[in-house]
Amino acid sequence: MNMVDSAQPFKTLLGPESDSQRTQYPYVTGTSVVGVKYKDGILMASDMGASYGSTLRYKSVERMKPIGKHSLLGASGEISDFQEILHYLDELILYDNMWDDGNSLGPKEVHSYLTRVMYNRRNKFNPFWNSLVLGGVKNGQKYLGTVSMIGVHFEDSHVATGFGNHLARPILREEWNENMSYEDGVKLLEKCMRVLLYRDRSAVNKIQIAKITEEGVTISRPYALKTFWEFNAFKNPTVGAEGSW
Amino acid sequence: MTKQHANWSPYDNNGGTCVAIAGADYCVIAADTRMSTGYNILTRDYSKICKLADKSLMASSGFQADVRALQKQLSARHLIYQHQHNKQMSCPAMAQLLSNTLYYKRFFPYYAFNVLGGLDTEGKGCVYTYDAVGSYERVGYSAQGSGATLITPFLDNQLKSPSPLLLPAKDAVTPLTEEEAVDLVKVVFASATERDIYTGDKLEIVILNANGIQCELMDLRKD
Amino acid sequence: MKLDTSGLESTAPLFGANTVLFDGFKDVPSFDVPKTNDFDGFQKEAIQMVKPAKGTTTLAFIFKEGVIVAADSRASMGGYISSQSVKKIIEINPYMLGTMAGGAADCQFWHRNLGIKCRLHELANKRRISVTGASKLLANILYSYRGMGLSVGTMIAGWDETGPGLYYVDSEGGRLKGTRFSVGSGSPYAYGVLDSGYRYDMSVQEAAELARRSIYHATFRDGASGGVASVYYVGPSGWKKLSGDDVGELHYNYYPVLPSTVEQEMTES
Repeated sequence: MNMVDSAQPFKTLLGPESDSQRTQYPYVTGTSVVGVKYKDGILMASDMGASYGSTLRYKSVERMKPIGKHSLLGASGEISDFQEILHYLDELILYDNMWDDGNSLGPKEVHSYLTRVMYNRRNKFNPFWNSLVLGGVKNGQKYLGTVSMIGVHFEDSHVATGFGNHLARPILREEWNENMSYEDGVKLLEKCMRVLLYRDRSAVNKIQIAKITEEGVTISRPYALKTFWEFNAFKNPTVGAEGSW
Repeated sequence: MTKQHANWSPYDNNGGTCVAIAGADYCVIAADTRMSTGYNILTRDYSKICKLADKSLMASSGFQADVRALQKQLSARHLIYQHQHNKQMSCPAMAQLLSNTLYYKRFFPYYAFNVLGGLDTEGKGCVYTYDAVGSYERVGYSAQGSGATLITPFLDNQLKSPSPLLLPAKDAVTPLTEEEAVDLVKVVFASATERDIYTGDKLEIVILNANGIQCELMDLRKD
Repeated sequence: MKLDTSGLESTAPLFGANTVLFDGFKDVPSFDVPKTNDFDGFQKEAIQMVKPAKGTTTLAFIFKEGVIVAADSRASMGGYISSQSVKKIIEINPYMLGTMAGGAADCQFWHRNLGIKCRLHELANKRRISVTGASKLLANILYSYRGMGLSVGTMIAGWDETGPGLYYVDSEGGRLKGTRFSVGSGSPYAYGVLDSGYRYDMSVQEAAELARRSIYHATFRDGASGGVASVYYVGPSGWKKLSGDDVGELHYNYYPVLPSTVEQEMTES
């Protein structure tokens, strides 16, 4: 072993990358995404708000996008990073299409790709500040998975990001079943989104529900949920808590 | 320049417990299927056991993204090995490869706690246990992960495997039959699930012997 | 148009940087270094997370017949004993042994690396490497990583053309030639026994017993040492393991339980 080689780690350490500043916190962020499997495919829901810190800065941001023919991607977290990821995926799908061999990337492949992108960015200490949900159907196979900003990923029959993990998934564990109809699925998602709207301060009442089946992706027009704010706990949240405001 | 990791950490602990027991002609590898972060359960059905070669299985807990990267790295290396040597890698060889792979990330470690189980070239059961940066030793049985501190003392008590360092040497192989080992694994996981919040949901048991690989699932507490 | 795969570029390529499949193995392993401005801070944090095994007693000494090497076998993480069966005496080749104190992985990996280098030296020069040379190879490697957080305290003991050899090498770059060393948290206790009982003209049996007793007393007083006391002897025909004893049982050899005399019969009141 010679000294030049053994000194290599130091060179990388002091390389041009290390002194450059990177985004160490998010700017404009979206909140939870919830996704479920149902009889014919995948349903996904998210609201359209994007916060700038605690300000609800944008109110019409689409956070679910179709990827290729068989996949649907939903994102929470930094919006600009999401757009960058969409850019990556656009190129990936285009490049794959250019083979013109009749093959196409399915949701499994796209999820795997996203997993590597997220993990490799965390390895560079420059993460994409997102939690992603990827759903899709290909050859009759339903697929639903998530990836976190540091690359943690898994498949499940229902998934959620951010607050959704705390508020929506317990509901899904209670009420979800594999053979839900489209109508029941939408109802279930709306229930989740309503709970999130009540308890997640960055959620807004303008949501979209996206569906992906063998036939393709349809993303609903934005709409508002019916809400009821007259619950006693909302009107007088500290009742029974003596000494509190 | 302010603090670097003010808001995010490149690591997470996704919990999980792994156990492996080596017998005279078999090896039992088991892990729960819960994946958590903090007090949150991410999924109840995530397999922590990975088949690396015909006679090597790895069970890993820790940071799931690192674990997956490690599994992919080892699978890729094993594929190259197969192309170059036209055979499956032996378990002792895989054990050293895993050690080296972990150590190459010494300065940016994989946060992964592994046990490697399999059959050696003589067909005897073998278990290798590791730390996160690659120090390893061959043992008769091992527990790794969040429930290891609960399970290891119990296995020490039940198996009383004599130290391989003793001279005159005593046979370090577990005295149990395959069925007894599987039952013991079920018991230790049921117990660990009672007291460790990162262990639960389901237990995946993989048994390796001369007949090949058999898999078994058992329910654990889901709370 | 080209696909931008920069997001997929791994910082840990299969065979070092940017190589094809059959580039083969480089003789120097390439390490992945985190791209952070605060390397020291990261290193400290990361190593804290993986909780290295600590606490050891190892010793080695030269005497008339050769070298004796001995060690305990415990590894602990804080208060938890993570293993009672660590092989702290590493067999580099049939004529050379290394001992392990500090980071278990650091010691194990670099001794394995040293074993490779020693074998390559043999093949290139048709003669075995000297203990001096081997220890210097290791010291040079460790020095090149100085300040990066490696933790190694080792003794290289062996027999070469010049007779018995013994060196102490550590990760701070130190390398000392000597006839008597002990390394690790239990070393003060081991030194106490070793220094008071050491004579150059001991027989192998006497020397082995001295080493065993030194390790035993260290495990008795140092909580971080324990398990099995292994003793190796290196002579003109290579090393040989002389003994491996559970220190729990050794205790009763050194201090047999005497049948105590009953001082007073208990009486019914």
